[in-house]
Amino acid sequence: MWIAPVVISAISAVLAIAIAIIDGFVNNYGEVTISINEGQKKLTVKGGSPLLSTLSSKGIYVPSACGGKGSCGACKVKVLSDIGPHLPTELPYMSPEEIKNNIRLSCQVKLKSDIQIRLPEELFSVRQLNGLVEGLKEVTYDIKELTVRLAKNTTVDFKAGQYMQLVIPPYGDIKESAQRAYSISSKPSEKEKLEFLIRLVPNGIATTYVHRVLKEKQSMSVVGPFGDFYVRETDADMFCVAGGSGMAPIRSILLDMYEKKIRHRAIWYFFGARSRRDLFYLEELKQLEAQWPCFHFVPALSEPLPDDRWEGETGLITQVLDSYMKSEADPTKSREGYLCGSPGMIGACVKVMMANGIPEEKIYYDKFA
Amino acid sequence: MKMTPEMVRAQERMAPGVITAQGFLGNDPRNVAEIIAEDERYFALYEIQIDRLVAKMRELQDAGRAGLGEAITVAPYWEVRVNEARGVLPCPFSDGVYGKINTIVTDKQSGRELVFSDLTTHLIEAHHFFQGQGSPFRHEPEDYVLILHL
Repeated sequence: MWIAPVVISAISAVLAIAIAIIDGFVNNYGEVTISINEGQKKLTVKGGSPLLSTLSSKGIYVPSACGGKGSCGACKVKVLSDIGPHLPTELPYMSPEEIKNNIRLSCQVKLKSDIQIRLPEELFSVRQLNGLVEGLKEVTYDIKELTVRLAKNTTVDFKAGQYMQLVIPPYGDIKESAQRAYSISSKPSEKEKLEFLIRLVPNGIATTYVHRVLKEKQSMSVVGPFGDFYVRETDADMFCVAGGSGMAPIRSILLDMYEKKIRHRAIWYFFGARSRRDLFYLEELKQLEAQWPCFHFVPALSEPLPDDRWEGETGLITQVLDSYMKSEADPTKSREGYLCGSPGMIGACVKVMMANGIPEEKIYYDKFA
Repeated sequence: MKMTPEMVRAQERMAPGVITAQGFLGNDPRNVAEIIAEDERYFALYEIQIDRLVAKMRELQDAGRAGLGEAITVAPYWEVRVNEARGVLPCPFSDGVYGKINTIVTDKQSGRELVFSDLTTHLIEAHHFFQGQGSPFRHEPEDYVLILHL
């Protein structure tokens, strides 16, 4: 029974090696030009490699969670020139609209001839940064605070709310490097270090590495910053909702706004958890609330345990949010929503916020999806 | 059951580090076809439809979503928590990608727990593949039957 699959695997492996060798000799693509954003930037590169890795070799980092293995669908790029139809490896990650607009997975696009692409401007400021793990602290039973101190003379500029990709090296049975996105939880003025909140995901490559393998003083590389989740500079009152590791970008935003002495708009932060053991940074946030009159911190437990001796708000965070928006917040002020969490949590909060006067286009979120 | 070329390719993608850190086969010496055949025999023996199992898994996940990421009591037997993380996982059989959504079902009577991802549900539904022994997302068919009260 085992002979057939072994033979098929062996034949496949031999064919793959043969194709790769022949490809190297026969398919010499020479130099090709990558024209980015209507010629704003032009790169002359050796052809034959995937677009994703070629761009990163030139210091342009397109977000990718799997390191180019075609398994995350994150490295989408708009291609303006004709490079042939989508490959079967791209199609599972594409909507019909994206296929129509020639959005491609840059890890699957092999550079065979000159190509024109369009990239968001902010990608040009993305860099790979190296540093050391300065701290790795448990903030709950399943969330760790990771602090990366950047190498000497290295700094990072980012907007509060943005995220970086952690570069996870091979470890244990993991034979290839991978990248995973995590929001930055520290404030932008601390340019020499980055903090993250990382919740253990069963069987997750990056979270298992951070929780079980990584140690203080080990080296760590990050790529970024990425993302368009940041505070809009308006006078509207802000309603922020996030629980668990979703707190990361909200914490960065709050620390940044406090430091910038923002006082003209009310800022509400609703932190939902099930019981006391799921809460963290309570003292820090309560202290911030005491020092910053426009900031209101509302932690809420959905199922507090008797031992928790919880005297704060109880119920699902959507119920607490609804109640405060109706009875505590200023009804005369315009409002904006800021959310970070699972699609389910965000969908439920969006409904509550819209029912309480926030237009959908004024609700900004960082969805874990 | 013979290993089809599709199964051979899928088995390669089930190795640790290709899609998930620990892979889908654990330390099981059997191949994919053997694992599937043996688990199918269990369900046939007890006359339980795999479709019924999958429907129950989906029903509990839908109920658990109301907890917005926290655990929630689902009558009459369970506590359910649905966790979602950033990113997607492709099926090793190359027929779709699934959000990193884990559903944790605890039978409050026995205290026993079942953890399944959206990919786990798909693998069971579309391929009758419950994963190899030792895989973090492997549960024995009888665990599903007992914990989900089928």
